[in-house]
Amino acid sequence: MTEDVHLSAERLILREHVEHISPQEREWLDRHLENCPDCTRLAGATGQALQSLRAVSIPLPPALASRTQLRVYLRAQERRERERGGWVLWTSCGLSCAIGIASAPYVWRAFEWIGHRTGLPALAWQSGFAMWWALPALLAVAIVLIDRIEAKV
Amino acid sequence: MGATSFFSALMSDDTQALARGLRRRDPELLDGLIERYQYRLFRYLLYICGNRETAEDLFQETWVRVLDRGHQFDGKSKFETWLFTIARNLVIDMQRRKRPLSLDTLAETEQNPLQLADTNDPSPLNLVFAREEEASVQASLLGLPAIYREALLLRFQEDLKLEEIAAVLDAPLGTVKSRIYRGLQELRRLLEGGKA
Repeated sequence: MTEDVHLSAERLILREHVEHISPQEREWLDRHLENCPDCTRLAGATGQALQSLRAVSIPLPPALASRTQLRVYLRAQERRERERGGWVLWTSCGLSCAIGIASAPYVWRAFEWIGHRTGLPALAWQSGFAMWWALPALLAVAIVLIDRIEAKV
Repeated sequence: MGATSFFSALMSDDTQALARGLRRRDPELLDGLIERYQYRLFRYLLYICGNRETAEDLFQETWVRVLDRGHQFDGKSKFETWLFTIARNLVIDMQRRKRPLSLDTLAETEQNPLQLADTNDPSPLNLVFAREEEASVQASLLGLPAIYREALLLRFQEDLKLEEIAAVLDAPLGTVKSRIYRGLQELRRLLEGGKA
């Protein structure tokens, strides 16, 4: 028998455990195994290796499930609190934006009046108005960023 | 409706219900899943990490991630496939934090991570034989590279289909088959060497 025949037999022996082999291949392999003690031993060893692999059992660490359940529970609680905090934050942001838009013409006039009264250059009081307008959004961004950094830690 | 399609529909409904529960972060569902998959997930992590303490940490981390990313489970695949994928990614992340490696090079194992479970066999002689046999399999398994150990576990202990293993490993089907064949050849060689 050539070496190729044994190699083909070994491939089929492995394949029959991993995938499927056709009835023709099965028939060929059976015929080959009848006349080849080396390949028969190989087939037996492969079957034995798989049986041993399936039989390996491992002990679980004590209370693994309950410790994990507790950790998951605490994490869920933390998430709920964060989500609640997030809802409050975005609602405040929304309200602040709405009030900001509604009051912008009046605040602009107020800043302008203060600018004239104090003799400030136009750029200074206009920057003050821009700051007043952007402050709530900047605060919200800062809170979200701090929250994310804390969550990662 | 045939029996097969009925059971398939039933299973699909189960998976869809599971996906909905995970989206809601249903605490009872999560508790049940942790109980149900504890052995399989811990065994998988232990096989690929080769260290009990690390496997235990990653086990907890995996469930925290299931809670955090439950909305990503679409219910189209099996839950265990998704679970093992999360666990595997955590192992790779951990390895990257330690040093820039992939799972392919993960080979460090502690001395005896796969401690044997107590068997209920009443015969002391059989117990000794069983323990010797298991110890030999253990040693052989630890002698295998992690990528082969993992492929063998998913195929022969988890009984996952080749396509499902490919999804967990994020690898082509051909690579999965080649890892299983090579792992099996190597395991057989190691076991024979142990008996010689």
